[in-house]
Amino acid sequence: MANEIWVFIERSAHGDVAGVSKELLGKARELADANGMKVGALILGSGVGDIPSVAFSYGADTAYVVDDSTLAQYTTDGYVGAAAALAKKYQPALILTGASFQMRDFSAALAAELDTGVSADSTNVSIENGVVSAVRSSHGGNVINTLTFAPGKTAVVSVRKQSFPEPKADPSRSGTVVTEAMPAVPMRAKVISVAPKQGAVNLADAAIIVSGGRGLGSPENYYRLIPPLAEAVGGAYGASRAVVDAGWVPYEHQVGQTGKTVSPKLYMAIGISGAIQHLAGMRSSRTIVAINKDPDAPIFRIATYGVVGDANEIVPLLTEEIKKRTGK
Amino acid sequence: MHIVVCMKQVPRDNSVKINADLTINADGIEQIMNLFDEYAVEEALQWNEKLGGKVTVLSIGPEDWKEQIRRALAMGATDSLLLSDPAFTKLDTLGAARVAAAAIKKLGDVDLVLCGRNSTDDETGAFAPALARLLGWVQLTYVGKIATLESGKIVAERHLEEVVETVEASLPAVVTVVKGINEPRYPSLLRIRKVAKVEIPTWSAADLGLSAADLTPALNLVNRVPPPPRPKGEIIEGASAAEKVARLVDKLIEAQVI
Repeated sequence: MANEIWVFIERSAHGDVAGVSKELLGKARELADANGMKVGALILGSGVGDIPSVAFSYGADTAYVVDDSTLAQYTTDGYVGAAAALAKKYQPALILTGASFQMRDFSAALAAELDTGVSADSTNVSIENGVVSAVRSSHGGNVINTLTFAPGKTAVVSVRKQSFPEPKADPSRSGTVVTEAMPAVPMRAKVISVAPKQGAVNLADAAIIVSGGRGLGSPENYYRLIPPLAEAVGGAYGASRAVVDAGWVPYEHQVGQTGKTVSPKLYMAIGISGAIQHLAGMRSSRTIVAINKDPDAPIFRIATYGVVGDANEIVPLLTEEIKKRTGK
Repeated sequence: MHIVVCMKQVPRDNSVKINADLTINADGIEQIMNLFDEYAVEEALQWNEKLGGKVTVLSIGPEDWKEQIRRALAMGATDSLLLSDPAFTKLDTLGAARVAAAAIKKLGDVDLVLCGRNSTDDETGAFAPALARLLGWVQLTYVGKIATLESGKIVAERHLEEVVETVEASLPAVVTVVKGINEPRYPSLLRIRKVAKVEIPTWSAADLGLSAADLTPALNLVNRVPPPPRPKGEIIEGASAAEKVARLVDKLIEAQVI
């Protein structure tokens, strides 16, 4: 086992290094310094350009690069094939990835390829006496698990974004580039097209989310109240499973166990009683506002601020008051 | 075409407790078919109606898992398989994938494996990718539409956070599906009665040729706790709705969240 921590460098839609990869380089640097280890940046793609120097500036010592036309687009076969060949050759102690859908696909397959497990969608990772451990929640955030990896095998941990602060870049840092050829692996899937998702809402990235539920009474009330309030606070709008299943709002907006998990700085739950399936998706929000007619609604048990009352009366007043006070 | 659906039984909600030995205590919570797996069953049934062949619903778990297998049979699955062994109680995701892979290899004639994108209890989403690698098959995860399924070929849309990727792949393949790919049917009463006494084949670790080493977890659970309690909140009081709203906005501005 080499004394290295690797970070898979993910690219944003614009082609530059994704925020989560910078966060992970920062964390890897911290763990490496505390444990006398080195940081490797795992860079796969077609035309990787100056990505290695960006990785160095955020804390990498070595860039492991496979630059090949077959990697122009993500496929599990191509990316896992290249990463597994590198990992088998250089034997890092730990590989960190983000936890986007693509990275969940990648990290789980890579772990299996390396005959190890993955701690998926983790929120922390540490190394003590050579043992890697990771923290991840399960059961809709009701259970926080700490897992350790058997020493002597590469540990694979996918990490939820914003789990660690983004470090400051130091452009004076440099490192070594190790380039390897694309290994011969079967490429059984071909990406035919990539299209923007219709009605995509990136709730996971929204700093403020205003969600509505069945307590609003009708889809007309939902659209009359929720999007305007979301707009007044500069946020996105979400919904409970009940109103998504009732067809009021598209699934893209669903927050909860079978929808999206979010942790914005402000989450407003309006006419949402707070079924455990909904709480699963938003309980780690920093500030939670609940507006509900029923003073016994479970949502009030986790709310930072609760207002008991009729949303149809309160929300228009709230939207106006916020516009007035914040000058929007 | 032979489609296998991997199905997991999960608690209806996640208000679970943690036992002293760190196992999950879901006593008193109804067990249901993992919601994402219902979409996988439905997708398998729809393609089976077009293409013929078999739909085998496969689950790993104790004997009482059979209830949800029967539900899938009542929905229309043609075959079932329970993988059950006392040695399976402490499986992690990789171990579960090894068990399922051994069973699928033993079945021998499988063209496609469908799974839900993740279970709603463990939420790793790692089972299907591990299964695909262990079988040596291609994987397509987060699929929101299967456009083409024919001998040796699949064309599917992967619904990612902000884009839809259309991918063509060879079969056999492992595919995970997202909510909204279809509308799962309710099993009819007639079919529920019909499958009530169907014998569900059960294979053990020995039947699958699995050793203790195959079932040893790659990850060790060393601690399990409930989340830290949220700071106590407050109910905003006021003589009128307008007064409550004004106080709420004061608080939000004070907390610097708007």
